Amino acid sequence: MTGALSLATAASTLADFEVPSIDDFLPDAFVFQGTPFAINRIVMVRLIATVVLLLVFGITAKRAKLIPGRWQGAVEWLLEFVRNNIVYEVMGSERGRRYVPMITTIFMTILVFNICGIIPGMNIAATATIMMPVFFALWTFVQYWIAACKGKGLGKFLKDELLPAGVPIPVYVILAPMQLIDIVLIRPASLAIRLFANMMAGHLIVALCFSATQFFLIEAHNALAAFGVVTFAFGFVMTLFEAFVAALQAFIFATLSCVYINLSYPEED
Amino acid sequence: METLAETQGIDLFLPKTFDIFWSAVILVIVAIFFYKFFLPKFQSIFDERAAKIEGGIAKAEQAQKEADAAKEKYESQLSNARVEAAKIRDDARAEASHIIADARSRAESEAAQVTANAQRSIASQQQQALVSLKGEVGVIATALAGKILGAKLQDADVQSSMIDSLIDDIDKDQAA
Repeated sequence: MTGALSLATAASTLADFEVPSIDDFLPDAFVFQGTPFAINRIVMVRLIATVVLLLVFGITAKRAKLIPGRWQGAVEWLLEFVRNNIVYEVMGSERGRRYVPMITTIFMTILVFNICGIIPGMNIAATATIMMPVFFALWTFVQYWIAACKGKGLGKFLKDELLPAGVPIPVYVILAPMQLIDIVLIRPASLAIRLFANMMAGHLIVALCFSATQFFLIEAHNALAAFGVVTFAFGFVMTLFEAFVAALQAFIFATLSCVYINLSYPEED
Repeated sequence: METLAETQGIDLFLPKTFDIFWSAVILVIVAIFFYKFFLPKFQSIFDERAAKIEGGIAKAEQAQKEADAAKEKYESQLSNARVEAAKIRDDARAEASHIIADARSRAESEAAQVTANAQRSIASQQQQALVSLKGEVGVIATALAGKILGAKLQDADVQSSMIDSLIDDIDKDQAA
C-alpha cells in the first residue's frame, strides 16, 4: 500500500518533468495558421535572426572605414577566414574567386542562425527546421551541377563520377548507381541533414539538462537538489559546446560545399 | 514519453509549405544583402586599403630614390668642391712661391745693379779725381819746382816729362 502510494507520488512529480521532445521542432503556428505563410516559433526566431544579421552587418558595412575598429576588424577577420581558409584552401584562389560571395553568405548566415540555439529567449537554432539547411544544400547542389557543365563538361563529369578510372569493369554495375545516388541525392542530403541533426541534438541535450535542473532544484524533493547542481553544470558545459558546434557546423557546411563544387572541375595539373 | 509517440520522427524531415516559403524568402533576402551590398562594400574597402598601402610603398620608394639622388649629387658636388679647393690651394701656393722667387730675383738683380752703379760711379769719381789730381798736382808741382829751383822751365816737353816722372815716383811711394 505504502509502496503504491510512493510510486503514485513519484509518477505525479515525474509528470512535472518536461522532457524536451522532437515536438519542439514542430511547434504550432501562431500567425497565418494553415496558410503557406504560417509563422511558428522557429520561423519567428529565423526572421528575428535575419533582421539582426541584416542590421548588424548592414551597419558594419555602412560604417566600414579604411582603418578598421575592433568590431570591423573582427568582421573582416571572419571574411578573410572564409575566403582564405575555406574557399581558397579547397579550390585555390583562381577557381575559388567566383565562389567567395556564395560561401561567405552560406557561412555567415548558418553561423548566425546556429548561434540562436544558445541565445536566451530564442533557445533554438534558426536552422533547426529541415528546409533552411535544405535550401543551403540546394544552392550548393545547383552550383556544382553548373560547375560540372561549365568546368569539365557534363559528359566528362558523369564519366569521372560514375565510371572512375582504375576500377574493374564488373564493379561498375554496382559502383555507377551508387555514385549516381551520391551526386544526385546523398551530397545535398548529407549537407542538410548533418546541419539540421546537429542543431536538433544540441537543443535536445541542452534543454534536457536545464529541464532536469528545473525539476531537481525546484519541483522535486530537496534530497535531489545535488543532482540539479550536476545537471546544471553539465547544461552549462553543453551550452558552451553548442557555441562551438554552431561555428563548427557552419565551417563544415561551407568547406563541404567548396569540396563538392571543386569536384566538378577537372583535376588541376 | 507520451509526447514522443504523438509525432513520428520522420515528420521532422517532411517539408512543410510555410517552412519552404520562409526559408526560401530568407535565403533570397540574405543572399541579395551579401551579394549586392555587404561583400562589394568590404571588397571596395579591401581594394582601397591595398591601393593605399601600395601607393604608400611606391611613394616611400620614390622619396628614397630622390633622397639617394640628392645625396649622390651633394656628394659629387662636395668632392668636386674639394678637388677644386685643393687645386686653388696648389695654384695659390705655386703662385706665391713664384711671386717670392720673382721678388727675390728682382731684388737681387736690383741690388746687383745698385752695387754695380755705385762701383762704377766710385770708379769714375776716382778716375776723375785722379785726372784732376794729375793736372793740379802737375801745376802745383811745377809751380813748386819752379819756385824751389828758381828756374823757369819753359820747354813744355821737359815740363811734362818731369811731371810724369814725378807722378810715377809718387805712385811708387804710394805702392810701397
